[in-house]
This record gives sequence, C-alpha cells and structure tokens, in this order.
Amino acid sequence: MKKIIGALCIMTLIWACSSESATDDEVIIPDDQEEVSFERSAMLINWADNIIIPSYEAFSGDLDALLNSFNTFKVDTNEGNLTAFRSAWINAYTSWQRVEMFEIGPAESVGFQLNMNIYPTNTENIDEFIVSGSYDLSLSSNRSSKGFPALDYLLNGLGEDDTSILAFYNGDNKDALFTFTEDVLLDMKSLTDTVLSDWTEGYRDTFVANDGASSTASVDRMVNDYIFYYEKYLRAGKMGIPLGVFSGAPLPENVEAYYEGTISNELFLEGLNAVQDFFNGKHFNSETEGESLASYLDALNSVKDGEDLSSLINAQFNTARDLVSDLAAFREEIENNNTPTAMFLAYDEVQKAVPMLKVDMVSAMSISIDFVDADGD
Amino acid sequence: MKKNLFVLSSIASLLFISCSSDDDSLELTTCEDGDCDPVETTIDNPDSYVFTRDNESTVSFDGQTTRLKMGSEILSALTDVTLTSDQILSMYAHEEGANDFEEIELNASDKSVKSKTAASADFFSTNATDQTLIRADFDGFITAQVNEVFPNWEVAAAEGTAGQIADGSSTRYINAQGLEYNQAFNKGLIGALTLDQIVNNYLSTAVLDEGDNRADNDANVVAEGKTYTNMEHKWDEAYGYVYGLNADAANPNDDLGADSFLNKYVGRVEGDDDFAGIADEIFQAFKLGRAAIVAKQYDVRDAQAEIIREKLSEVIGIRAVYYLQQGKNSLDQETPDYGGAFHDLSEGYGFVYSLQFTRKTNSTDPYFTKEEVDAFLVDIMDDGENGLWNVEAATLDAISTDISGRFSFTLEQAAE
Repeated sequence: MKKIIGALCIMTLIWACSSESATDDEVIIPDDQEEVSFERSAMLINWADNIIIPSYEAFSGDLDALLNSFNTFKVDTNEGNLTAFRSAWINAYTSWQRVEMFEIGPAESVGFQLNMNIYPTNTENIDEFIVSGSYDLSLSSNRSSKGFPALDYLLNGLGEDDTSILAFYNGDNKDALFTFTEDVLLDMKSLTDTVLSDWTEGYRDTFVANDGASSTASVDRMVNDYIFYYEKYLRAGKMGIPLGVFSGAPLPENVEAYYEGTISNELFLEGLNAVQDFFNGKHFNSETEGESLASYLDALNSVKDGEDLSSLINAQFNTARDLVSDLAAFREEIENNNTPTAMFLAYDEVQKAVPMLKVDMVSAMSISIDFVDADGD
Repeated sequence: MKKNLFVLSSIASLLFISCSSDDDSLELTTCEDGDCDPVETTIDNPDSYVFTRDNESTVSFDGQTTRLKMGSEILSALTDVTLTSDQILSMYAHEEGANDFEEIELNASDKSVKSKTAASADFFSTNATDQTLIRADFDGFITAQVNEVFPNWEVAAAEGTAGQIADGSSTRYINAQGLEYNQAFNKGLIGALTLDQIVNNYLSTAVLDEGDNRADNDANVVAEGKTYTNMEHKWDEAYGYVYGLNADAANPNDDLGADSFLNKYVGRVEGDDDFAGIADEIFQAFKLGRAAIVAKQYDVRDAQAEIIREKLSEVIGIRAVYYLQQGKNSLDQETPDYGGAFHDLSEGYGFVYSLQFTRKTNSTDPYFTKEEVDAFLVDIMDDGENGLWNVEAATLDAISTDISGRFSFTLEQAAE
C-alpha cells in the first residue's frame, strides 16, 4: 500500500511539473488522502462558539447602545445628543459588518441581511410613512425603507447640516419622526434578538452536529454563504455596484452610508477584516486562531503554483485591504473622479480573491457551489 | 417510378443541404418539368436578416413590434394597483383609438394582443371552443390579479392568504395559493401569442401559400403598395414575434432579452451550456428560409420552418422543466425559500401552459395537448388545500419527467 501511495505521489509530482505550461490554474491536491486528518466538527465548533455567537452578542450590545442614545436624544433633542446618536449608529453599523456574512439558519429564516441593510434606502417611502404614520415594517416591500440605511437618512440626510436636521426633530412633525425612527430601531432589535436567541437556544447544536460532507452539511452551506457574501455583498454591493462595474456608469447614491458620506470604506474594510478573520478561524476580538478554512486547506495540503493556497488567499486579502485603505471615502472617490481609477484598481484586487475561494478552495474541499447568478426577473 | 425516386432523393438532398450548410450561398440542383437536366438555382443567403427589392428593404413586421410593446405595457399594468380590471382588460383587448397605453402610437393602432391569442390558422381556425377558453384564461389572470391580489398588496402573504412575499431582494405578489398571476399571464402569453403565431400560423403552408401567394412570389408580384410579396411578409411576421424589439433586427442575437417574451427565453436557453448555439440555429433557419422564399425554393423554406418549430418548441419545454426544478430546489432545503420557489413555479406554470402551443416537427400536433396541459396545471396546484404552498417534489419531478421525455433534452440538461 505504501508503495502505491509513493508511486502516486511521484506521478502527481510529474504531472504537476508537466502541467504547468498547460494551465496555471490547476490546484494540486496530493492523492494520499490517508494523511489528511481534519475534523470538520472542530471547525464548526470554532465558528459557532468563538466567532459567530460572540459576534452576534457584540452586535446586539452595540444595537442596545444605539437605542439608548436614541432615547437620550428623544428626551433631550440637542446637537450633542444628535452627535452621540450618530456615533452610536456608526458603531453599530461597523459591528454589523462582522455578522452580515452569517446568513445561515436563524438569520436566513428571518432574511436578516435584507431586512437590516438594503441600500439605497427608499426616502420617498420613508417621507410618506412619517407623514401618514401608516406603515408595516414587517412587509417584504418595506425592507428598503428601514434598517441601517433608513437610519442613515434619518440621521444624516434630512438636512444639509446638524442645525437643519435638528430642526426636523424639533419641528411640527417631530412626534411622527421620533415614532418612525424608534420603530425602525425596534424592528432591528427584534430581528437581532430572534437571530441571537435562536443561535444560543438550539441552532448552535444543530449547526455543529451537522458535520458531514454533503450539500446540506453545515460546512458546505456555510462556505457557500460565506463566498456568496464576499462576492455579492462585499465586492459587488459595497464597491462594484456604486462604482458602476455592472451598470457601466457610476451610481454614487448606491454607496453604503451614502448620506453620512465618509464611512463607506471603513465599513467595507471591517467587512473584509471579518471575512479574513473568519477564513483564519480567528476568535472574535482576540488574536487566537482555531480550526478554519485556512487550516483545512493546509491539512489538505492545497498548493497552487507552488504556494500554499491559504497563504495566497491571505495575501490577496491583504493586497485588497492595502489598496482600499489608501482610498478616500467611496462616495468621494466616485463623485470627484471622472474615472475613479484608484477605486477600480482596488476593486480588481477584491475581485481576484473570488476565483480563489469559489474555484480553488471549494474544489480542494470538494464543496459544490449552490448559487448561480440570479435569473434577474 | 424511376422518376419519382429521383425526385425523392432530390428532396432529401435539399433537406440535407439546408440543415448542414452555413455557407453564404447554396448551389442546388433540381429536376424541373420532368426533364431531368440539372438546373442550377442559387439561394443568396445574406449574413444578416437584410432583404431588398430594387434597393428597398422588403422586411416588415410593425404589427408584431406593436403587439410586443402592448404586451409589455400590460405586464407593467398587472403590478399597478391604481388600475381597475376593466382598464387592464381594455389594454389586452385594445380597440383602435382607445386611450389604453402610455405610448401614444399604440393607442392609434388597430391591433390587439387578445385578437392574436390562440389565433393560429393551424390550431384554432376550426377550434373556436379552445380559443375562447384560452382567452378566458388570460382575462381570468387579469381579473383575479385585480380582485384577489391588489386588495392584499400591503399584506404579508401566508398559506391561504394572498399578498406579498420576499424573494431575495425582490418582493413578489401572489394569490392565496402562491401563484403569481402576472407570471402565469406573461409566460402563458409566450405560447399563446408569440409561439402560436410563429409556428402554427406564419410558418404554416396554410398561411405562406395561401391564395395566390406562391404564384405571386414566383412571379415577383408584390402586395399592393408594398415592396414585399405576401409570402415574404408572412415569413417576416413570424420573425417579428421573436425579434420585433431587438435594437438591430437584422442581427438580433446581439441583444437577446429585448422583450419579456420569447426573445428573452431564447437568450436564457442560449445561456445554458447544454444548449449553447440554439439562438444561432434559430436565427440561421429564419434567415435561410427567408432567402429561400426569395429564391423560390419552397422545400428549403419548409425545412427551415421545421427547424424553427423544433427549436422554439424546445425553448418552451426547457424553461418549463427548468422552473419546476428550480422551484422544487428552493422548497427542498432546511429553510424553504417560499418566495423564490413561488416565483419559479409561477413562471413554470406559465411555460407549462405554453406547451399546448408547441409544434412537433413534420406533424400537425403540439408536444402536449390542451387536455394534457390542463391536467399538469391541476396537478401542480392540487397536492393540498393551498396550491403551491403544499406542492410536493414528487409532483414537480413527475411533470418534469413527462415533459423532458417528449423532447430531445434530458431533465438534467434543462434543470440547471
């Protein structure tokens, strides 16, 4: 048996050498499966207990702080409290970037991503809701009139500056405005409470126990959701769509936190950090790393072009981060440059990680991608 | 006897040439007047759908473009809650001068979508019964949308309750059984209007060769006041139902998806690797058939008509199976995606409806009869009290298997 494995290795090496000119994209996975010992369940436990649940708990805490700052502002409607309310919103929005990718189980059931963060927000609806006082935020069609982007409008978009924004909260319609803002916040809190309690009261065990390797196993599904998030939400939603990659013309109003105007790249970077930390199994708010997609790839000994695939993916994330960090706020980049070349270059580096994850990583792990580009109608 | 055999083999070679050739010009040998001296006849097959007589274009399909635009406005109207059912029914059964549409030219037109619904010469000229029933279905989709779904526009849908439901970032509006009437209307009309008019009407010899059409075409007699012969125009009218809204109608495959009807789904099937090339096959057959009319090569013309019938019918079959399987997959997961599934199944419902307008090659029959289609539609909705909310995977698989079994594609090829 050993001999056969040896022969296989040699053959693999020969094949590897000879195939280089033919295709650079082959991922080489040695055939000696016996040497691979990786416990998918250990990775699931690390994800659930050290990353996902702590991230939700932290987010939930920041959301409570946001509600408190709102209540303070409501009681004492002045500029200082508006500023505090706004910074609590930025804090929670940043913390949201650490949970947005986990659209599985409880989050998937309630449609967490799309109930919390559809932008651009529908300001026409919001204006009408405030005037009429009649709305049902649980409706599917109202998802684009609530969540963080609605708060962006309510905190930053009602007027040119804080004085004129405060005028709204002290004006004739103040009660309706406060009521609507509160309803948006309570809707976010209720969704978050549901997701977090479902995780801690049952789903965690279901998730961890489903440790097989099939299209319905937790690892396969989480990896699909993770890549979907990276490709559609982080890459396309936060950068590509406002940049005009898909429409041919820039759409600055599609920037996340458009009305605030300066934090979109920071929100993106927090999302990218969350993606990379998840990849490396890094515990929430800690330097400790546990079993992860990276360690799984290392156990599989996945090599591409002579380098560890996990190192290549981390290097690509780092390159993307460096370029995005050098950018001004996205809205500024898009509105102030005829062709926002620097942002396009950064986008291209973000994009380069997509095939690494969606082709190389999943083929090494024998995971099939279950999403395709949406039908569009 | 010997002569007959020769004629037969000559026809066979014609068919062979027409199917396999993609040359610009075809050299054909025919046997005329019983005198079997070979006569050379050339079909001048252009690169794009451009045909002229005395330097003027002979291609015209305004009426089809008009109906596709009317169809598109009707689809928008089906999600405009400010409209009444009478208003939308009037759009569907438009009368000249009535103020039904936003596009003013459409109002002036004497054409309507309803008058061409289930109106082909081959299938409905002696079947007013089914024609009436089918038109009543489309009227029914409109009135039910207004009466059942519009009142619940701002209500969350639930089993047994009409209303709205999330499908990804989109919102869908369904009846109490989970069906989107506007999808049933849209995808059903692909068969009842566009496909039926193409494969059972304009490409039919009953229409192409009607009256003196063949003699006139042989003698280059154009229709009164027109640049085209009647036969040329009939063929173009078929073409217009697929390509009537493309930016460059002479090269329509550059922007497939120009309408929400057949054009879009030729594009979708083309986008599936299993069927890549089908869009060009359809276009080439239209083009060669039209060139054959100019060259008075009616066997070549009819062979192209058969190719178009086969391929366009296949588009309907493939999309029916595709949507039923997509819907099944959306339901069959830890967190069932009801909104996504109902949207797919509603599209599938419409494509299944359209199967009764397909046309088998070298036959006068559809791939599925109206009775078979009606039975499928009942099956899709009757696994439980509440239609699509209760539909079972086995039902969707059984119908998918039945459909793919009658076409030359497999369920697996269509499903992804």
